[in-house]
Amino acid sequence: MPRHAGRLLGLLPILGLIGLWQIAVSAKLYPPVLLPSPAKVAGAFLQWGPMISANAGASVLRVLIGVSLAFAVAVPAGLLIGRYRGLDRLTDWSIQAFRSVPPISLIPLAMLFFGIGDTPAIVLIFVSALWPLLLNTIFGVGGIERTLLKVAASARASELLILRDIILPAALPSIFTGLRLAIGGGWLTVVTAEMIAVKSGLGYMILNAQMTFRTELIFAGIVVIGAIGLLADQSVRQLRARACRWQDGLTSSHG
Amino acid sequence: MSGFIECIGVGKTFEGKGGEGKTGRVEALRGINMRCAEGEFVCLLGRSGCGKSTLLQMIAGLERPTAGQIVVAGRELDGPSPSTSIVFQDHGLFPWMTVRAYVEFNLKARGVARVARRTRAEETLTMTSLSEFAGRYPHELSGGMRQRVGIARALTTRPQALLMDEPFGALDAQTRGHLQSELLSIWAVQRTTVLFVTHSIDEAMFLADRILVFTPRPGRLAADVTVALPRPRSPGTPAFAAVADGLRAALGSEGVAA
Ligand SMILES: Nc1ncnc2c1ncn2[C@@H]1O[C@H](COP(=O)(O)OP(=O)(O)O)[C@@H](O)[C@H]1O
Ligand SMILES: [Mg+2]
Repeated sequence: MPRHAGRLLGLLPILGLIGLWQIAVSAKLYPPVLLPSPAKVAGAFLQWGPMISANAGASVLRVLIGVSLAFAVAVPAGLLIGRYRGLDRLTDWSIQAFRSVPPISLIPLAMLFFGIGDTPAIVLIFVSALWPLLLNTIFGVGGIERTLLKVAASARASELLILRDIILPAALPSIFTGLRLAIGGGWLTVVTAEMIAVKSGLGYMILNAQMTFRTELIFAGIVVIGAIGLLADQSVRQLRARACRWQDGLTSSHG
Repeated sequence: MSGFIECIGVGKTFEGKGGEGKTGRVEALRGINMRCAEGEFVCLLGRSGCGKSTLLQMIAGLERPTAGQIVVAGRELDGPSPSTSIVFQDHGLFPWMTVRAYVEFNLKARGVARVARRTRAEETLTMTSLSEFAGRYPHELSGGMRQRVGIARALTTRPQALLMDEPFGALDAQTRGHLQSELLSIWAVQRTTVLFVTHSIDEAMFLADRILVFTPRPGRLAADVTVALPRPRSPGTPAFAAVADGLRAALGSEGVAA
């Protein structure tokens, strides 16, 4: 089977689900006010297109900012913690303790400290993206082949060169795993945070649609959330394949 | 004559890592006295576990001796010396670096400017017949090619001594034979000192001016055999067989695979 035809197989469950949905609608499982038909939801995209895109844009922007900030902090910190045993000892317990706190449980505090708006949402995304990035970076550094470090030591390479030319690239595949998890986690967090702490974004839109009984808009919102999640994950995978091209043949093709 | 590399009463004891049960101290080496003259090709021969790698890594400055001292190029060792380069059995290529970037790495670590680095790397790549592979990544190379790259990286700084830890141990016999011959021709041109670890009598016999035989538990120097045969050497001759028999005897009753 050609490669692309194979990939399209992934659409099958989604199409199946839409089919079941239509059957449920036709069978009048729920009144149309509660369970709109696929066609009605498609109509919602036409009717509220610009409003949906504006909210989607707001959510995406928050995730981009929050995850970028987390990346900028977690990757350098992870490289250093992975490289220096003392730092690892110093931070290990704290990391394990803090990462066990669900970001959602921080919403009340975030609102007390930062009020309502972008700031609490971005802070929460930052927190939920930080741990997977940090842990995966540390893990990536730990997995480095010892001989490579000996090569560097025998070349009398500076710590900076070792971190940049050896530790960072060695950890890169693992950092990308962390990035996928971070974006996934950030995306979950943004929608939740927007239901409570912000007055824009997909989460806010969905909650608002519930209060105004526009169920088709709720469904449209969910579809957009899923689609953007898929798109983001695919983009990171592409980026990873590009940045870690040297890994070809070292690992299995699906990952 | 004082040696270019000199070990004086060198010993190494690994303190077993505390924690999980075993508090095993391992005395890997005891009382090693050896010297290796400039330009000499010396093999360290012994079966696995007798401390050959440990000694080589100490001479490379990657491990510290727990007894005695090591002198390289007239200076007592305190970390890796700029006059030596080491080659590992598992070659230590960086999967993310092309052959060219890797071969330049030791120069980069010394702060050599980009252009000078490039020029010097080209020279080394030519010498090791790697020019056409300069843009490849390690996963695109065969085992023999990878080790050639490992050697090229070690050679770019024009070290006075090349330290090699079973560099051809993981290769098939034919590739190993090729690389041994190539190493000898590089050595003949560069006149670097070579300290070469092996567990193979034949390999040591093929390469070395002098063979230091190690025995285990703790690792000790059991014999120092000069191989006065002209190169290239072939295992068929009676003279070769005589030296090999001597080595086999020195290795002890448990023997070693040839
Ligand atoms: N880092 C280490 N920690 C503890 N023991 C070690 C370490 N490195 C080597 N040893 C021990 O020292 C002995 C000599 O090892 P090695 O130098 O690798 O021998 P060879 O290279 O001759 O096979 C072995 O018993 C080995 O288990
Ligand atoms: Mg060894």
